Amino acid sequence: MQKQRAYIILILALVVAAIAILTTIPPELGLDLRGGAQLTIQVNPTKEQPNVKPTAEDVQAVQRVLENRINGFGVSETTVQTVGENKILIQLPGESEPEEAERRLKGTAKLEFKQQKQGTEGDFIAESQVNRQLQAQREYFSQQEQTPENTAELAEINQSLAKSNEAISQLFDSVDLTGTNLTDARPQPDATGLRYEVAINFDREGGKKFAQLTKELAGTGRSIGIFLDDDLISSPVVGPEFADTGIAGGRAVITGNFDLEGAKDLGIQIKGGSLPFPVAVVENRTVGATLGQDSIRRSIIAALVGLVLVLIFMVVYYRLPGLIANGALIVYALLTIACYALVGVTLTLPGIAGFILSIGMAVDANVLIFERTREELRAGKTLYRSVESGFFRAFSSILDSNVTTAIACVALLWLGSGLVKGFAVTLLIGVLVSMFTAVTCSRTLMLLVVLSLPKVRQKPELFCPNLNVSNQ
Amino acid sequence: MVASIAMMVFSLSRLNAPIRPGIDFIGGTRIQIARDCTVAQNCDEPIDTAQVREVLDGQNLGNSSIQLLGDNKQILSVRTENIDGDRRSKLLSDLGQAIGKFDSNTVQIDSVGPTLGEELFVSGILALLVAFFGIIVYLSIRFKFDYALFAIAALFHDVIITAGIFSLFGLVLGLEADSLFLVSLLTIIGFSVNDTVVIYDRIRENMVMNPDKTINEIVDNAVNQTLGRSINTTLTTLLPLLGIFFFGGQTLKFFALALIIGFLLGAYSSICIASTLLAWWRNRQGNKPVVVTDTPASQ
Repeated sequence: MQKQRAYIILILALVVAAIAILTTIPPELGLDLRGGAQLTIQVNPTKEQPNVKPTAEDVQAVQRVLENRINGFGVSETTVQTVGENKILIQLPGESEPEEAERRLKGTAKLEFKQQKQGTEGDFIAESQVNRQLQAQREYFSQQEQTPENTAELAEINQSLAKSNEAISQLFDSVDLTGTNLTDARPQPDATGLRYEVAINFDREGGKKFAQLTKELAGTGRSIGIFLDDDLISSPVVGPEFADTGIAGGRAVITGNFDLEGAKDLGIQIKGGSLPFPVAVVENRTVGATLGQDSIRRSIIAALVGLVLVLIFMVVYYRLPGLIANGALIVYALLTIACYALVGVTLTLPGIAGFILSIGMAVDANVLIFERTREELRAGKTLYRSVESGFFRAFSSILDSNVTTAIACVALLWLGSGLVKGFAVTLLIGVLVSMFTAVTCSRTLMLLVVLSLPKVRQKPELFCPNLNVSNQ
Repeated sequence: MVASIAMMVFSLSRLNAPIRPGIDFIGGTRIQIARDCTVAQNCDEPIDTAQVREVLDGQNLGNSSIQLLGDNKQILSVRTENIDGDRRSKLLSDLGQAIGKFDSNTVQIDSVGPTLGEELFVSGILALLVAFFGIIVYLSIRFKFDYALFAIAALFHDVIITAGIFSLFGLVLGLEADSLFLVSLLTIIGFSVNDTVVIYDRIRENMVMNPDKTINEIVDNAVNQTLGRSINTTLTTLLPLLGIFFFGGQTLKFFALALIIGFLLGAYSSICIASTLLAWWRNRQGNKPVVVTDTPASQ
């Protein structure tokens, strides 16, 4: 009894925790349910050198470039992540016409060093100010939840920003110094050792052009414009000491009171812009918002209908234990969904299928136990002993059957693609939780009923109909 | 099973694949979109496939397939070769002009490049093989190697027949196997082995309890003792699946159907194939039933 009480407390605590988790962390919905576009981008080797594969570092740099491009879309709550060796996964929630996005994402990055025009100093300062403000606003709104107001606001900011970027780029002249002339860009500590700077290296031709560019700009207060995909990412000025020769030797540093993160970020943007790897959209999965909501509605109906049918079946066939198992099943469903929220599982359509299936598995454990209990009862054991040995003997079957399912899940999780993974992860968590609830929850509830209600003990037929041996 | 293999061979000759492959595996673009019914008179008539065909032909997409879905045939599903965003947006706008305005909130686009499709396919098959191997190893450890082998034989039976039925669907209904179909095969494996394991577990236990009985009797008893459980478990798992099949979204319908077929077969194969084969094999070996060392403790 002592042990049962401890279990009951544990289960109650878990249920309370599960409810608390579910109310604080809402389950994350995949794009197939909330609507949106998911694009997989592949970073390909160049045409000139088809055997040189992009390294992990290259892919990371390209990802940074893509992030810049995506920021330009004005879609909020976007995510960008690397998958596998050379692919980048991009999620654009709420986007139902991804054609424009695809067009802007593909293609090689374009990095260019430009020279600020004479007499534009004032304009540049003013426009930069506007630009910075707009960027801060966009940053803020793109992290907000997607509401119609926010989306409209974001679109407006985005439009002004595009205009501002255009205006800035008008203030600069091309000197034909592009990313192809750049060999490296990386952060390094500056002379004081407290702050960071970005070191950039050019090839021979680039070095010459850069020297020429810096010679003309040195001491004038006008800046070098570093443009990535036509947007200004940095605008360093050149000190007067370089007025005679320019910065020669093809090496330079951009100082700017950077911390390590800032220097890293600028370095990776410059580096990414210089990479020749073309990127292509290899996969596009888009679901319109209404369609997604329709899927959710249908899935919830399907899940509920399935669950209710199972609950009814259990009570009709297994009677009292069936009722107890139903209690355990509801605890199971709560715990499992809480686990999803806790682990951060993104619920997709296949994921919901995995969950519904795991309900079936959870029931299976109970069915195994009850069938065994009935057998023991028929063999003439007392109710208490039957329940205990029913659980005990069924356990090895439950373990074996769950482990084999888990093996299949792990194989899928390890090797499968996105859709398949969503299914495997919900089923795997379901299997693990169901092992726990079948063994602790059903068992504790059952023993509690058997031990604490003497009336039940006198009626083993509540557990097994047509039992003709009287036990007590 | 023979019929099933025959079906796949036939399909192989007709479609160049044992099961009609979806765009997930060979690459391609599928666009599904519904007409915007808030526009007056837009949805009065079903979509005319001839018009759709005309638009497709006009864009050199003549070998695409067209399907109409929904109650009043207001949803159009087109499958073409893999096309990029620009061509797709042209196709969508042309289609919109030809057959009426679409509601962009109902769009579903799946576009998979051919190399990625191949990768998805290879990784899927690999997952299948790894799962098989993992199950053999686990069962060999928990039981004996010959147990594991017959369990896998039963699995092959389930997977091949399910695949055969879908091969037939592919030929008759134009149904395509996608990533989800591969998932369903894996789930069927998990469940079928589940069933088999429960019976094996009982066989092992019976061997310990009644060492003097013949293997045939032991297997018979084990099957009988677990029959109720096998039927009930299959039933309770089928209930949610039927829920998905009847009420779930379009995407999950055939996924659920594959599972329903597979699970029914799984229950049958565990009862009739895995255990019978095991008894037959042990008899042939002329062995007395071997007591397995890992004994489930008695009460």
